[in-house]
Amino acid sequence: MNPDHGHDDERSGAIDLRLWMNFIKHLKPHRRMAFTMCGAGFGLAIIEASLPPLTGFMIDEALEQGVSNRLLTMGGIFMVMMMLFAFTVWLFIKAAGALATGVAYDLRNGCFQRLQELPFSFFDVRPTGWLVTRVTSDCAKVSDRMPWVLLDIFWGSTMLIGICTAMMIIDIRLALWTMAIVPPLVVASWVFKRRMLASSRDMRRTNSAITASFSESINGIRTTKSLNRESRNLGEFDQLADTMRGHSMRNALQAAVFLPIVAVLGSVGVGIALWKGGVQLETGTGLSIGMLIAFMEYAILFSMPIQELSARLADLQSAQAAAERVQGLLEEVPAIRDSPEVLARLEENSDLKGPPDGGEQVIETIEFRGIRFHYKPEEPILEDFDLTVRKGESIALVGPTGGGKSTIVNLAARFYEPNEGQVLINGVDFRERSLQWWQAQFGIVQQVPHLFSGTIMENIRYGRLEADDLDVLDAARQAGAHDFIERLDDGYEHDVGEGGELLSTGQRQLISLARALLADPQIFVMDEATSSIDTETETLIQEAIDRVMTGRLSFVIAHRLSTIRDADRIIFIEAGRILEDGTHDDLMRANGRYAELYAGQFTGA
Amino acid sequence: MTDFPTQFRLIRQLIFSERMRYACALTALIAGTLLIYLIPLVPQAVLDVVFNDDPDKASGISRGVIEFLGGIEEVGSQLWRPALLIGFLALAAGFCVHLRQRFAARAAQNIARRMRSGIYDHVQKLPCRTHETLESGDLLQRCSSDVDTVSLFLSEQITMIGRAFAMLLVPLPLMFALDWRMAAISLILVVPISVFSYTFFNRMRTRFLEKEKAEARLTATVNENLNGVRVVRSFARQSFESARFDEHNATHRNRDNDLYRLMARFWSLSDALCFCQQGLVIGFGLWWLTQGSLEIGTFYFFISVVNMFLWPVRMLGRILAEFGKALVAVGRIEEVLERPAESSPGDPYQPDGLDGSITFENVSLHHGELPVLDGIDFKIDPGETIALIGPAGCGKTTIVDLLLRLHDPDDGEISIGDVAIGRMERGYVRSRIAAVMQQPFLYSRSIRDNIAITRPDLENDPIEAAAIDACIHDSIKSFDQGYETMVGERGLTLSGGQRQRVAIARALIQRPDILILDDALSAVDTRTEHQILSAIERRHGRQTTILVAHRLSTIRTADRILVLEAGKVTQQGTHEELIDQPGLYRRIWTIQSDLETDDQAETGGAG
Repeated sequence: MNPDHGHDDERSGAIDLRLWMNFIKHLKPHRRMAFTMCGAGFGLAIIEASLPPLTGFMIDEALEQGVSNRLLTMGGIFMVMMMLFAFTVWLFIKAAGALATGVAYDLRNGCFQRLQELPFSFFDVRPTGWLVTRVTSDCAKVSDRMPWVLLDIFWGSTMLIGICTAMMIIDIRLALWTMAIVPPLVVASWVFKRRMLASSRDMRRTNSAITASFSESINGIRTTKSLNRESRNLGEFDQLADTMRGHSMRNALQAAVFLPIVAVLGSVGVGIALWKGGVQLETGTGLSIGMLIAFMEYAILFSMPIQELSARLADLQSAQAAAERVQGLLEEVPAIRDSPEVLARLEENSDLKGPPDGGEQVIETIEFRGIRFHYKPEEPILEDFDLTVRKGESIALVGPTGGGKSTIVNLAARFYEPNEGQVLINGVDFRERSLQWWQAQFGIVQQVPHLFSGTIMENIRYGRLEADDLDVLDAARQAGAHDFIERLDDGYEHDVGEGGELLSTGQRQLISLARALLADPQIFVMDEATSSIDTETETLIQEAIDRVMTGRLSFVIAHRLSTIRDADRIIFIEAGRILEDGTHDDLMRANGRYAELYAGQFTGA
Repeated sequence: MTDFPTQFRLIRQLIFSERMRYACALTALIAGTLLIYLIPLVPQAVLDVVFNDDPDKASGISRGVIEFLGGIEEVGSQLWRPALLIGFLALAAGFCVHLRQRFAARAAQNIARRMRSGIYDHVQKLPCRTHETLESGDLLQRCSSDVDTVSLFLSEQITMIGRAFAMLLVPLPLMFALDWRMAAISLILVVPISVFSYTFFNRMRTRFLEKEKAEARLTATVNENLNGVRVVRSFARQSFESARFDEHNATHRNRDNDLYRLMARFWSLSDALCFCQQGLVIGFGLWWLTQGSLEIGTFYFFISVVNMFLWPVRMLGRILAEFGKALVAVGRIEEVLERPAESSPGDPYQPDGLDGSITFENVSLHHGELPVLDGIDFKIDPGETIALIGPAGCGKTTIVDLLLRLHDPDDGEISIGDVAIGRMERGYVRSRIAAVMQQPFLYSRSIRDNIAITRPDLENDPIEAAAIDACIHDSIKSFDQGYETMVGERGLTLSGGQRQRVAIARALIQRPDILILDDALSAVDTRTEHQILSAIERRHGRQTTILVAHRLSTIRTADRILVLEAGKVTQQGTHEELIDQPGLYRRIWTIQSDLETDDQAETGGAG
């Protein structure tokens, strides 16, 4: 439950076979491609392993018989094998690509789907950027590597076995001599790939720290300048750049040792084959010149599959953390979801009109009964909370920050479920109604509303996708947004920017009001903005709220006394309890906390 | 986009700065390549001279090798000799490869290190004006991934280009000396293969950009969906969102798959081409072998060598194509470096202290055609508290920026303590002023370090005292790690009000001549605001204070209020004076009283 913030925690531990076997199931829908790919890898290895002896045979034939029919036949076979080779290369890359992209697509869709179902408590403890990385780069990391690992296991082991078998058949003693280079090759590959994995991990980590440092220097430029921090920042950055150079050098030096070692071992193999094979050639124990040449080629070929296999194992290791996270997300069970009974009813009623769960459509009352709730066990928010709200009532929630005002709204919309107690819709527990249907009855205007990038028109239409342009304009007029939209350059086609950043908070609230109005929800929720909104927009919002609230069941988390005074009921909440409940006049007469607050409005200033 | 020649010039300069190391790398490269090609020469000589019935047919080079090893008889009876020579050659070649990589890596990493530092330094020195015109994401990309591209180019691609040419050119004399016919045959397809791979990777690049675009769109879609999760849920738009995501997801998959298909075509075709080259060598070799005009060892030499240089040639196209990428990256970096840094006075004047009085004389500033400040005149006495008020965009923040010399006026003169600020170093002026912005920026380090950022050597007591005065001490204490809690990009996310209060504590630590609060209490409730303001009052001393705010409750306590409209000072005076005059101030006063804009409701019982 404590996600690391953006850090790529690749592990250097052992390969978790169970995890990867579990991942194999994602290949199932693409098994035809997987089989094609493995087949191609197998074929490729056979061809590669049989080329050196074929060349050897041709040499021997040419030396002994000159241009014979057999030589021409072998030449023909050689040509065919080359073409086959090119074809298998084409086939396996294509198949591996289809597999990688297909699996990536499935994993991303699976993760995204899951994110649509998970409750807010899941998002509370995980930053958005962290989750985005799960869907994008983690899925990519896993799906990019799996096919190649699979392919190289087939290709590499076939090739190793093929080369060894061919050498044994030709000459077992020479084969054993030449294979003497294999153990050091394996050891060197394994040791160095692991080290290089570790140093490249350090490089990536430092690199992201460097990027973060640049990002800080760009975004904080005004602060840096006004605090005269430039030279100290540069000093700290230089240390980071030095670390980066150190890690990069380490990685480069590892490669600069490893690659020569592999090359030297190959040449040593050639030397051994020449020495021992030459002796046999001289004593005439049946080894031909062609076969000696084949052995020398094999000595060079050996390193290829060994290097590839160890590189793939290292890849697997570096993708392991990503795989764990993807798997974790896919397996996360939403804590808030429809019960089996509700799902069964949804199934039955799929073709009926009205609420899909067969319950009542019109909401007469919402009742909170004996609710206890906390986000963290050590910090209880609501205790024994009771409240009943009826259709047509507008409720102003008033009280100090952290008292539980937003929690009440979050519970009503079933964004969270109470730890104890019930929320009842027309006397029925809301867990017995469809989650999607219930949430769709809400129109919510947030303090800083979120808009989707696109035009204003598209954003308002989000409230009711099938609405035509006239409906949208109508909703905008009701929300008091029409005039300011018309004044913008492109009117309703104005681009709002990512998250709506090109508009002011006040403008965003107006658009989000229009969006909620278009949806025509039964329950309206408004979280008034506390930040400074210019006075004119303020008035517009005020008027729109009045219009929206009439005839609906509404909750307003209120900061402005004019909103509060207009509400049918004022609920004063402090430390998770309702301290006062009534109209403005009632509460003023009671002369309690609310009255104190109201008086503070004029004395505090 | 800058011209390519200037980019070549910058790359040349970068490489030239490490010329000794690159020269060493080049020497090691040539020596190593030569040694690598000597290796197949040994079996060749053994095959042609020792195992040959007619050693006289062998080339002079082969006989030379065998002579070096002690003559035909000796080598024939002691075949470990050539094996040992191969081992030695391989070791020496390996050592050269190691040296080449070591020198090249050191050179490239030094360059990358300098480039990073240089660009970081320059970015910090760019005027705020320049930062405003550059898009921050784009600038960040130039500093991070473009620098990575260039450093990858310098460390790997340059050495690979060198290696490809060395592998191709170094053995040429040897090959032609051994057998000119075979040498010619071996080279027939080299040019077609490199042209093919170059054109291919060039085409690949556009596809790659498309793939990246699709990926970026997908990321943006997820990001928006998660940020708007409340909206999605409350309109029950999950299936709409999934459909939208699926569309981008499928595009991403298809673009990705296009790349793989292209790769499949390239590798299979270039494999086929390479095989044709090998087939030609083997075919002609065998033909001449049967004719008796080619020796078996020479034949072996050529089939080994073809394999050795075809691979680098095949990669050459790819590297040359990537070269274009590096050029673009260099150009983008150079565009940043070419932007002029903040100017500094030729002969800066540095007084021992400033008294905190501020004068604006006929100061104007334009943003494009639009005047932001239009001939502003005012004077603030030392120790005075001044409030600035006016509608959004009237120029309040610009006045703050001008004082901090973040911007320079187009016209007029600004003085602090009767010294024109243009005559002093920017850093000196800034060190006399503490400013808190509406959306303050905190560094990603601990809260303690953030507060003490201007005086890192400070003890705990003054830091906590500042935090107490800024009404943030209790909140900090409630965090698990207290003052050591990390904030910023990689730490705890503070609320707007908490950030503002930390920034106020940071400003209080500075003990400035001038304190500026630029709408710095907008996210703090009124009661806390009053506490903070009276704490500042107590600390006050002789410091001049400038308050920019929307709330009249904040502003009315100031000694004097300046009302700004459209870049001009339209009214000034005390609260009482201003509500008696017709004008903007009185209008705002009336509206705010009517609307009762206040978040007292928030604080009713909080205290």
